[in-house]
Amino acid sequence: MSWQRMAAIMGVVYGIVAILPLFVGDIRFIMQILIICLIWAVVASCWDVIMGFAGIFSFGQVAFFVIGAYTSGIFAVSWQVPAVLAILMAGLFTAGMGVLVGLPCLKLAGPYVALVTFGVHMTLMPLLRGDIGIALGSGGSVGILTIPPITLFGYAFSSANIIPTFYLTLALAVTCSVVILVVINSYWGTAFLALKDSEEFAVSLGISAFKYKLMVFALTSFLTGVVGAYYGHYIGMLSTRMLELDLFVTLMVMLVVGGIGKFPGAILGAFITVTVNELLAPLGSYRAVTMGALVVILVLLLPNGVMGFWLRRSKAGATST
Amino acid sequence: MLKLNHVTKKFGELVAVNDLSFAVEAGQVFGIAGPNGAGKSTVYNLITGFYPFEGEIAFEGRNIAGRQPHEISKLGIARTFQIPQTFPSLTVEQSVGVGNRFGARGRFDPAYVESILAFMELTPVRHEPTGQLSLLDKKRLMMGAALATRPKILMLDEPMAGSNSNEIRSLMESIRRINAEMGITIIIIEHFMKVLTELTSTLLIIETGTKVCMGDPETVVNDPEVIECYLGESYG
Repeated sequence: MSWQRMAAIMGVVYGIVAILPLFVGDIRFIMQILIICLIWAVVASCWDVIMGFAGIFSFGQVAFFVIGAYTSGIFAVSWQVPAVLAILMAGLFTAGMGVLVGLPCLKLAGPYVALVTFGVHMTLMPLLRGDIGIALGSGGSVGILTIPPITLFGYAFSSANIIPTFYLTLALAVTCSVVILVVINSYWGTAFLALKDSEEFAVSLGISAFKYKLMVFALTSFLTGVVGAYYGHYIGMLSTRMLELDLFVTLMVMLVVGGIGKFPGAILGAFITVTVNELLAPLGSYRAVTMGALVVILVLLLPNGVMGFWLRRSKAGATST
Repeated sequence: MLKLNHVTKKFGELVAVNDLSFAVEAGQVFGIAGPNGAGKSTVYNLITGFYPFEGEIAFEGRNIAGRQPHEISKLGIARTFQIPQTFPSLTVEQSVGVGNRFGARGRFDPAYVESILAFMELTPVRHEPTGQLSLLDKKRLMMGAALATRPKILMLDEPMAGSNSNEIRSLMESIRRINAEMGITIIIIEHFMKVLTELTSTLLIIETGTKVCMGDPETVVNDPEVIECYLGESYG
């Protein structure tokens, strides 16, 4: 897909989202869902870059999100670092962690990368709940409860000021999405795709697998860390519950629904998944079962997600005319 | 230009390349042949940095042992693979561009990529995804991407495999032109002896990683040891 087409789809999606407060701005519940959609849209897109474009089966995206959230929360609560600075520092710290996790993955094939990165995910909960986490300021099993909101020019962006906070989240999501768009359409993106398709051919043509694989880990964990940190300041509290499987699976569903390697499909996937999940809320305990069944049907009918389906349709349309 | 000096490669107990020494002169078309499993492709993998080895490989007087494949590419050694490799996510033009952007020293040169597409007769399929190409075009694409790195040596691994006689003639002509018009030294692994005798000025025969015979093709194909271990009595 050309970058112009990707940009156009992103523009349409974010444009529609931007005008939604005109119609539902006074319905607090919907505004909160939209903010969460925007946050997951970025996390799912980052996961798509590393898995769909670079072909690295990293299962560490939720871990990086939590690392970013806790790092910023600890900086802000324990060391009184201003929220904006804490978010940036959290992003950089998470990028460093991403590189550290990426290093052992360089020599591993797909399933083993998934194991190593999911291992990081699994070790994070006991680490944050245990003595080391408590010493660092994670709050143990209670978590961090008093994370200050982002304050810019004396204005606090919190759930109490939902409309301005929505637009700040939108600005963050658009910025992260534009960064992803630029990267995957630059020579970095070409290197990611070449390494995914045939690593031995790519390296024989001068691409450094070491450099570009670590770059993709650094970039996606930086953006995920920043968004995780932002999430912590928006919600105001953090707990290790985020590391349970619900969020991990939901994010994976977003990716599958949008289409793996079909950016900006992950953005669409986030909005569709969160919306359907909320619409199914009246089903109570049957919600998870219904959602699972819908995902199975969707994967069978649209193996490349909604974006893959749409691209196929538009290509078929162009061929027939 | 390229010199292997007592090079040995072991995979556990298996000795894939055994104390192999030979030299390739600038401007040559140098052929390597031998039975399946003789270690021909392993030699390529050693020269291009895919495997570590014992001994010394010198390129333009510099020992290149221990360098990574992407560094070897930047030195001016390019290669193709026995099983055609492509980038299905990229178009033909983008794939050839990969070689120039990442493998060549200096800035990305779209005009050079354009000239390589034309040289390898890939211009008509430049916008096609590489996964949909014919076998011949996939081979041309691999050679084109390798040429886009502006190599001094191009190493071809069984370029004729799976090709019909017309395709073989076409590929041979391309190889001749790469050598003559672009001044690029060629090393070619091939099983078709006719191709090797027509194209190469020096031919090396190896078996079980060991040099059997090296010299001008006419002499090599008449060597009794080569006939016994590789060509067979019926050759000729």
